[in-house]
Amino acid sequence: MEELILNLKKEIIDVLNLEDVKPEDIDNDAPLFGEGLGLDSIDALELIVLMEKNYGIKLQDAAKGKEIFKSLNTMADYIAKNRKK
Amino acid sequence: MKVFPYIKAVSQISIQEPLTDVWMESPHWYDANFVRSIDPDFKPFVPAAQGRRMGKLLKRALTTSLSVIRESGIACPDAIMMGTGLGCIESTERFLESLCRDGEQLLKPTHFMQSTHNTVASLIGIQTGNTGYNITYSHKGISVDCALHDALVQFKLGMIGSALVGGNDEVSPSYFTLLKKIGFVGQDSEVCGEASVAMMLSNEQENALCQVKGVKVLYRPDVCRLQSALSQMLSEADTSLGGIDAVMTGISGNRLNDKYYYDLLPELLPGVPVLHYKHIFGESYSASGLGVYATVRCLQHGFIPQSLVLEQPTCSVPAPNRILLLNIADGKDYSFILLEKICGK
Repeated sequence: MEELILNLKKEIIDVLNLEDVKPEDIDNDAPLFGEGLGLDSIDALELIVLMEKNYGIKLQDAAKGKEIFKSLNTMADYIAKNRKK
Repeated sequence: MKVFPYIKAVSQISIQEPLTDVWMESPHWYDANFVRSIDPDFKPFVPAAQGRRMGKLLKRALTTSLSVIRESGIACPDAIMMGTGLGCIESTERFLESLCRDGEQLLKPTHFMQSTHNTVASLIGIQTGNTGYNITYSHKGISVDCALHDALVQFKLGMIGSALVGGNDEVSPSYFTLLKKIGFVGQDSEVCGEASVAMMLSNEQENALCQVKGVKVLYRPDVCRLQSALSQMLSEADTSLGGIDAVMTGISGNRLNDKYYYDLLPELLPGVPVLHYKHIFGESYSASGLGVYATVRCLQHGFIPQSLVLEQPTCSVPAPNRILLLNIADGKDYSFILLEKICGK
């Protein structure tokens, strides 16, 4: 799980172009949107693409996204349980 | 009514030192056929949180635009008019690459948003809170000229009192290869560069750098039509051929396109000293904007750097009063832009 979380952090930094953020700066339990990393709706789309591309997970129900992208831990947990890659 | 707007500020990011006039004294010279722009520190202009989603071209455009907004003190111009040949081509390429690679399934929203040509003008509008007239001209090598022409028309009609006009083009390595194949850039001794230019126009003279006395854009004109258009423009500006101190051309070292200038100049502007700028700033679809920028600086500082002089004039031009820009793109699109020094400066 730790390896997945670290990879996920690196992927998020890369895909969202978070230039001044390092993996260790991201709190696993902090909210990804609003506070914490301060991501927005376009970032949410980027994260959906990231999950499908890198882990083979197609997010069909948009309502689920709110729960999945609550924090890095919830996202990693969802990926670990549903990944196809 | 004759209305000629003033240029209050100009700024550039190119293959020369960005945001300065250092090139007038000591320009960078390049042997390569393809050189990318020298980027400044974007932090004073683009906050990191907002900049993370912007490609290089957007950062450059925002930087030059904010630079002229700050210098001119015109925070909210009546219009934003931009020219671009390719738009944010790197974002377009990345979007299309991912589309092909991932079987047309996974579309990256950020690159998709930046794939349209009017992204630059709209971003400047959003970032500066400007909801006025906002337009993008995309007509290959005369895109900036068209934007400037629109500005002049709207000033004349009394529709606007100020305008942010500019041009922005980036060239990716893969696009350079394509442009070279079709002979647009990178031929002979020509340098292909990138261009981001912004200028602030206003109907107020105070602290102006120079005045725009005319803009003409023509498609496939013959010499007679060019002579007639030039004559009309000079007449409207209360001057004549003898009042032109120099002609700033887009001669770039590409023999195919340069031929149009060499064939036309003796007939159109006999005896007028010939200048050029693309050997310093490079060729790109927005390069003519850099020609305007260089000309503004010559009129502002009252001298023409030797590096711009193509043909040694029989008599020197110590302090030019009036310079005509002649742009010929692909032998089809022609433009004249007449810039004049501010009286008393």
